Amino acid sequence: MVFAAGVVALAGVFWPQRGLLALVQRTRRVTERVRIEDAVKYLFHVGEDGSVVRPEALAGALVVRESAARALLARLVEAGLARTEGAGVRLTDSGRRDALRLVRTHRLVEQWLADRTGMAPGEWHAVAEDAEHELTREEVDRLAARLGQPRFDPHGDPIPTATGELPINDRVLLGALAPGEAGLIAHLEDEPADSYAALLAAGLTLGRTLVVRARDARAVDLEIDGTRVSLPRLLEAGVSVQRAPYTPTHHQMTLADLALGQSGTVLAIDLECRGAQRRRLLDLGVVPGTRIAAVLRSAAGDPVAYDIRHALIGLRRKQAAWILIDPDTTDTDSTDADTTNTKTAAELV
Amino acid sequence: MSPSTFRGQALAHDTELVQLSSRTERFDHLVALAGNPNTGKSTVFNALTGLRQHTGNWPGKTVTRAEGYFAAGGTRFKLVDLPGTYSLQAASDDEQVARDMLLFGRPDVTVVVLDATRLERNLNLALQVLAITPRVVVCLNLMDEARRHGIGVDPVALAQALGVPVIAASARSGEGIEAVREAVRAMAAGETITTPYRVPRFDDTTEATIATVEEAVLSAYPELPNSRWVALRLLNADDRVEAAVQNGELAALSAERLPAAQPTPVASAAMLEHGAVAVETGNDVLAVASAVRWQLATDFQDRITEGIYRSAEAIAASAQLAGVRRVRFDLDRTLDRWLTSRVTGFPIMVLLLGIVFWLTIAGANVPSAMLGTLLIEHGHAWISSLFVAAGAPDWLRGFLVDGVYLATAWVIAVMLPPMAIFFPLFTLLEDFGYLPRVAFNLDSMFRRVGAHGKQALTMCMGFGCNAAGVVATRVIDSPRERLVAIITNNFSLCNGRWPTQILLASVFVGALAPPALAGLVSASAVVGVTLVGVAAMFLASWLLTRTVLRGEATSFSLELPPYRPPRLWQTLYTSLVDRTLIVLWRAIVFAAPAGAVIWLISNVNIGDASIAEHLVGAFNPVGLLLGLNGVILLAYLVAIPANEIVIPTVLMLTVLTGAAPEAGAGAGVMFELDAAGVGTLLRDNGWSTLTAACLMLFSLLHNPCSTTIYTIYRETGSVRWTTLATLLPLVMGVVVCFLVAQIWRLLAGM
Repeated sequence: MVFAAGVVALAGVFWPQRGLLALVQRTRRVTERVRIEDAVKYLFHVGEDGSVVRPEALAGALVVRESAARALLARLVEAGLARTEGAGVRLTDSGRRDALRLVRTHRLVEQWLADRTGMAPGEWHAVAEDAEHELTREEVDRLAARLGQPRFDPHGDPIPTATGELPINDRVLLGALAPGEAGLIAHLEDEPADSYAALLAAGLTLGRTLVVRARDARAVDLEIDGTRVSLPRLLEAGVSVQRAPYTPTHHQMTLADLALGQSGTVLAIDLECRGAQRRRLLDLGVVPGTRIAAVLRSAAGDPVAYDIRHALIGLRRKQAAWILIDPDTTDTDSTDADTTNTKTAAELV
Repeated sequence: MSPSTFRGQALAHDTELVQLSSRTERFDHLVALAGNPNTGKSTVFNALTGLRQHTGNWPGKTVTRAEGYFAAGGTRFKLVDLPGTYSLQAASDDEQVARDMLLFGRPDVTVVVLDATRLERNLNLALQVLAITPRVVVCLNLMDEARRHGIGVDPVALAQALGVPVIAASARSGEGIEAVREAVRAMAAGETITTPYRVPRFDDTTEATIATVEEAVLSAYPELPNSRWVALRLLNADDRVEAAVQNGELAALSAERLPAAQPTPVASAAMLEHGAVAVETGNDVLAVASAVRWQLATDFQDRITEGIYRSAEAIAASAQLAGVRRVRFDLDRTLDRWLTSRVTGFPIMVLLLGIVFWLTIAGANVPSAMLGTLLIEHGHAWISSLFVAAGAPDWLRGFLVDGVYLATAWVIAVMLPPMAIFFPLFTLLEDFGYLPRVAFNLDSMFRRVGAHGKQALTMCMGFGCNAAGVVATRVIDSPRERLVAIITNNFSLCNGRWPTQILLASVFVGALAPPALAGLVSASAVVGVTLVGVAAMFLASWLLTRTVLRGEATSFSLELPPYRPPRLWQTLYTSLVDRTLIVLWRAIVFAAPAGAVIWLISNVNIGDASIAEHLVGAFNPVGLLLGLNGVILLAYLVAIPANEIVIPTVLMLTVLTGAAPEAGAGAGVMFELDAAGVGTLLRDNGWSTLTAACLMLFSLLHNPCSTTIYTIYRETGSVRWTTLATLLPLVMGVVVCFLVAQIWRLLAGM
C-alpha cells in the first residue's frame, strides 16, 4: 500500500510532460515567450491608429517594471518584430503578421467557447489569453475549420483569416444586423435623394441607436429610440451602422412572461443564446413569426411546457427568457401579428 | 480551463458512431431511414424488417446505428436506421452521422418518417433530406394518432407538394407498411419519377452569394444532383463537405450519379480516377466559397432555418384536409393537469414509483429463492457429482464447479428475477408517456445542480441495474447533462446491492430494536442508505457541473410526447430481450472469471496459507481504519465484476480465515446462511454494528461493477470520464467510511 502510494507520488512528480517537474520547467520557458507575444499584441492594438509605443506605456500595460519593458522592446527589435521610431517602437510587417495570428487565435478560441461550451461570457477572455500562446498554427486552422471558418468572434469583432487578412469592420450595412442586433447609425447614403428622404422621414439620423426587431422578404422592422418603424428592404442598403448596444426605452416581452393559456408570436431569439442551445431552439421551429402558447407548468413551477408547432416542449425559464415575443392581445386563433403600433415607411414618405 | 484541457476538448477527433450490425447479408439496394426523434421511426424500422429493436415513447432512442434486411418483389433491401435528428446541419454527432450517410453512403432510397401530428417540424427535416437526395419515400406515420387528435393530413396533397411518394401509415398496427415496401421497391427499380420540392429563395443577398458558389460547384461537378445544397454547406464552411471537395469524394458522387447505382464503398475506383482532377477544381470551388463568405449576414444560419420553416408551414397548410379542425385532446390535457399539478403531481409520482419498487422487491423474492434452490443447492451438488463420477481431478472440479459455476449461478439467481419484473414495469410507464412527465416535474431540482430532469429516470433505472441506467442516459440529448447522469448513476443502489443492504440491516440494525419493531427499523435503515445515495448523487452532480464539466455544452429541451396506450406483450418481450437478457449476459461474462479468481486465491497456497489469507492479513489494517476489515476489502476487490457475490464471498472468506470452520462448505465455495447463522458467524469473527453500518455505506459508495465501468466506457468513449466515474464514488466511500468509523469510535470511547 505504502509502496503503491510512493510509486504514484513519484510518477506525479517525474511523469514526462504531465508531471510536476515538467510543469515547472515549462512554466519558466513559457513565461518568456508569453511576455513577448503579449508585447507584440499590445503594439498591434496601439499601432492601429499610427502611434508608436514607449517603454513606459508597455510597462503599464503588461504590469512589469520599466526596465523590463525596455528590455522586452529591445528583444522585439532584435528579433525583427519591431523597429525603433523616435522615442518609441512600431511593429514591422513580420511583427504585424505575428500579432494577427495571435488575434486570430484569441478570437477563434472565444468563438469556440461561446459556440461549443457552456462557459459564461466573463470567462472566455482568460481562457483565450492562455490558449493563444499555446496553440500551434495547424491547431488554430483546424479549430477554424471545425467552427465553420467563423468571420466574427462573439463580441462581433472580425477574426483575421489564416492568410492574415483583417477585414475592416467598424461599419456594416443595416442588412447585416440580425433581428435582435443593435447598432449606432454611422452612415446614411444620400443617393438617390428620394431614398435618403425616406430614411430621414423614418427617423433614421446619424448617431442614433437602433435595433432590428424583425425582417421579412419585403420590410425590416426597426426600433429607433423606442419607436417602431417598418423600412422597405430596398432602403436597407443605404444605412451603415456600427455595432453598439441599444437600450430599449420600454420593456421587451419574452416567452417567459407569458401566462398559462396565453400565446405570442416570436420576434427573435436573443443573441446571448448561442451555439447548441440556439440551434436546438431553431430546429424545434422557434423562428420569427412562430406562434407559441404556454400550456403547462411543471409541478415545481419551472420548466413550462409550450406548444411549439403542435409539439409540447418543456423549456426552462432562462431559455424562455431568450425568446423575444409579441404577445397576442386576444386569445383568438388569428395568426396575424399585432401591427397596430407599426408605421410603414410608405405612410411616412 | 487550462490550455491542455482546452486543446483536448476543442480539437479532439470527431466521434465515430458504432455500427450495430449482427450479420452481413447479400442485398441489392441500400435504404436509409431518417426522421425526427419520437416519430415512431424505430417502430417503422421493426415493422419493415421484423426485428425487435427497443422502441420507447421518448425522443432519441437510436444512437448506434441499427441495420436490418427486408425483401419486396424479389429484391433484397438493406435498411439502415439513422439517428433521429431534428435537422441535418451537422451540429451534433447524430446529425453528422445521419448527414454523412445520406450524402456519402449514397442510399438508393431514403425513407423519411414524418409524424402526421407535428407536420411542420418534421417537414423541416424532410426538406433538408430532399435537398440532398431526390430519391425519397415519405412515410407519413402515426396516422392513427392524428385521427384521434382530429388532425386531417391529405397524403395525396402532401405528395404533390413534396414531389415524392407519400404513404400514410400507422407502424404500430402495421398499417401502410406493405405500401412503404412497395414504394421503396418501385423507386429503387427506377419506376418512380420524383420532382423534389426545393426550398424557395432566401433574401437577395443570400441568394446572390449562394448562386455564385453554386455556379462554381456546377462547373466543377456538372452531374451533382444537390449543387445548391453543397453550395450552402460550403458557404457554411462545413469541414466534412470541404474535405469531400478536396479529396475527390464529391467528384465521385457527381460521376456516379446514375439511377439505381450499385451500393459501393465510398472509396470506389471511380473516385480514385477522378481524384487527380478533383484536387485542382476542388480548390477553385473552395476559393470561391471563402471569398464570398464575407458578404453573408452574421445570422445566415438562422435565416436558412427560418426559410425552411416558411416552406414547411406552406406545405403543411396545403396538405391540411379541408373541414377537419385540430381538436384539443382533452384526455391528454386532463391527465397532464393531474400528473404535473403542484398538488397532485408529486404524490402520484411517489405512489407509482413506490408500486414499481414494491412489486420488484416483493415479487422477486419467490422466484429468486426458487432459482437459488435449483441452481445453487441442487444444481451445484448435481454437477459436482457428475464431475466426481467422470473421475475429474479435484482441482478441476473445484475450479469449474465451485468457482466458475457457482459465481455465475449466484448472479443469475439474485439478478434475473428483479430485473425481469422491474424493467417491463418501467417500460410500460415509459411507453405510456408518463416518464417524460416525471422528468418535467423533477427538472427544477436537477437544474439547481446543473443536471437534466431526465436524470431522475436514469437514476430510477439505476436502481434496477447501473449498467442499464448508464445506457438509458441516451435519452438525454444535451452533452453535459448526459455526462453528469452517466458519472453519477452508480449512486443508485442497484439490484446486486439490495440483498447486502437488506441482510445487514436485518441482522445488525434490526437486532438493536425490540423484536416487534425490528422489521420496520431495518427497512428504514435500507431506505436511509438509499436516500444517502440520492443525496450523494445530487452532491456529485453539483460538484461535477461546477468543476470538471463546467465548460461542457448544454442544449436543454424536454419534449412531452402525447400519451399512448402501452402494448403489453410487445413491452414484455422487448424489455426482456433488450434490457434484462443483455444486462444479464454481460454480468455472466464478468461473474464467471470472478468465481474462478475467488476459488484460486482460496485454494492456492503460498507458504502455509492461501493467497486469500495473506491478502486479508494485508488489507486488515486499512479495513479497520475504515470501520471495515480485510475480508470485506478483499471481497470487494475480487467481486468488482458483480456486486451480487459480495456477501457469499465475505462469508466464504470469513470461514476460511477465521473461527468456526465447520460452518463452511469448503475453501472457495460461496454459500449463504439464514440471517441468524450469518449474525452468529460474523459476530464471532469480530463484526460490530459499526462494521455493518460502514459496510452498508461502502456498498453504496464504491466503484461501479466492471459491467458498468465497461458500459460507461462504451457510452462515453473516454478513458477520462470512465476513470472519474470509477474513482469518484470510491473516494467518497473511503472518506465517508473513515469519518463514520473515527467519529463512532470517538463517541463510543467517551
